Amino acid sequence: MTTPILEIQGLSSGYGPVRVLHDLNLTINPGERVGLVGLNGHGKTTLLSTIVGLTGWQDGSILFKGEEIGGRRTHGVGRKTPSIVRRGIALAPQGDAIFPGLSVRENLDSGAYSGVTWRSRKRRRDSVLEVFPPLTKLLGQTAGTLSGGERRMVSVGRALMSDATLYLVDEPSLGLAPKISIGLVAALCEIDIGEGAMIIAEQNLPLLEGRVERVLGMHAGELKLDVGEALGDIPPSAAVSL
Amino acid sequence: MIEVVISAAVLASMYGLVAIGISFTWASIGMLNLAQGFIFTAGGYAAWVFAEFAISAGISGPLLSVGVLTFGMLGSAVAGLAVGSIAFLPLQDRDNFRTRSLIATLAISLIGTQVWLIFFGPQNKPLPPVFGEGRIEFGNAGISYGQLGTIIVASVMLGLVILWMRSSRRGLQMRAMMMNPLGAAVVGVSVRTTGMRVLAISGALTGLSSVLLAQIFFVSPTSGVQPLTVGLIISLAGGLGSIPGTVIAAGLVGLAEAVTARYLQQSLVPFVLFGIVVLILIFRPRGLGGLLEDVRE
Repeated sequence: MTTPILEIQGLSSGYGPVRVLHDLNLTINPGERVGLVGLNGHGKTTLLSTIVGLTGWQDGSILFKGEEIGGRRTHGVGRKTPSIVRRGIALAPQGDAIFPGLSVRENLDSGAYSGVTWRSRKRRRDSVLEVFPPLTKLLGQTAGTLSGGERRMVSVGRALMSDATLYLVDEPSLGLAPKISIGLVAALCEIDIGEGAMIIAEQNLPLLEGRVERVLGMHAGELKLDVGEALGDIPPSAAVSL
Repeated sequence: MIEVVISAAVLASMYGLVAIGISFTWASIGMLNLAQGFIFTAGGYAAWVFAEFAISAGISGPLLSVGVLTFGMLGSAVAGLAVGSIAFLPLQDRDNFRTRSLIATLAISLIGTQVWLIFFGPQNKPLPPVFGEGRIEFGNAGISYGQLGTIIVASVMLGLVILWMRSSRRGLQMRAMMMNPLGAAVVGVSVRTTGMRVLAISGALTGLSSVLLAQIFFVSPTSGVQPLTVGLIISLAGGLGSIPGTVIAAGLVGLAEAVTARYLQQSLVPFVLFGIVVLILIFRPRGLGGLLEDVRE
């Protein structure tokens, strides 16, 4: 039996008095690409943030490749994030969090933070450019001057630069024109993750359908296998902005 | 005229190093380090202690000079780490870190002066001339070895630091952290580790400045006050966080000080300097080059 990439048990987390995740369980196996769908405010971003220790507090077990990276924590937001990330988790966070004053090339290179990846950064950059060809022309440009879609590509591209086994991509289509977001999500779903895994949080279910192994619904801080329930009363056609 | 320019360049080199340290610390960890004066003095005393031992051991010449510069930088780097472990690490993820660390560094600065007084007494300590004694004359002006050495060493050291920041992995991480702490965290940059590195580097630059200034003045318990004040003025005028802005502001402040001291009166220097910084902050609130501030928020 292979060790799951991610094994979450009894995970709760939140910010101050607000509890967002409720006793959540989730297992992700090697080679899986998982879609996480749900409406705004139901905890998709919080789940991804909790995995890397970026929420206000958390409780419950998170095993990454069999090693505990969770546990109970009441303060110290983000203090453990760098060490968790270094174990092999790459996050493309909501809001992109790119470095506006650095060039696109430097932004991508910052994703190759370990000594080994840093030495192979040129090759890694080339493979990111294969996924996002529009970035090729923008390498020398300051990231702060990019459009929303280009920023998203830089943010996701930066996550792809690392040696991660688990990729977490938060709302790749958020705020983008439909045409751009379709291309971006399609590109994400075509990336070869090998024995790794990828979680794509996304409101826009049709963007993921047929492209990922599994779709999990998220509703009020709990996971639902029934995707319809996660999207609430709104019919899927209306929830989709296409 | 030429002498004023030389004098301005010397002042700019010395104060610029301190200002870069202040600016750098602010931009990367959001701490306005008022203990920079204490860090400055620490380097001066470290260099002095080394010089005392070295001279009594019969060391002289280039070896002594290199040792004095090295120990000055080391002493201040260690002091920078000490300040970091008191005012940065324990407070870093608390609310209002900026205000708390400001108060903590002010406290370190005040207590630090007393500590030097206890250990070294109130007497001024001279450092041996690092660049030898002599002058190069050209026309009716001239430049002493000390002045020339100060300008060269400060520029080279600053150039090396900037080059390292631009080309290395650690340098990229520091610049990344200045622009987006969350982004830095998700690419594995620890604010705490990187922050301590920043404090050590800022300290080393300040220590270099301390040895250079001691070529003209002495090391004393309060010798860090003036560099701290002028360093703050320069880093504010340059826009906290901007290296090009800080370099320009250092030149401007150096020139203003040299001109004022030469043609008006030395005692008017603080008025002129603060006048300049107030004017800059009125007309360019982010300083000459400070674009980083709105990036952090």
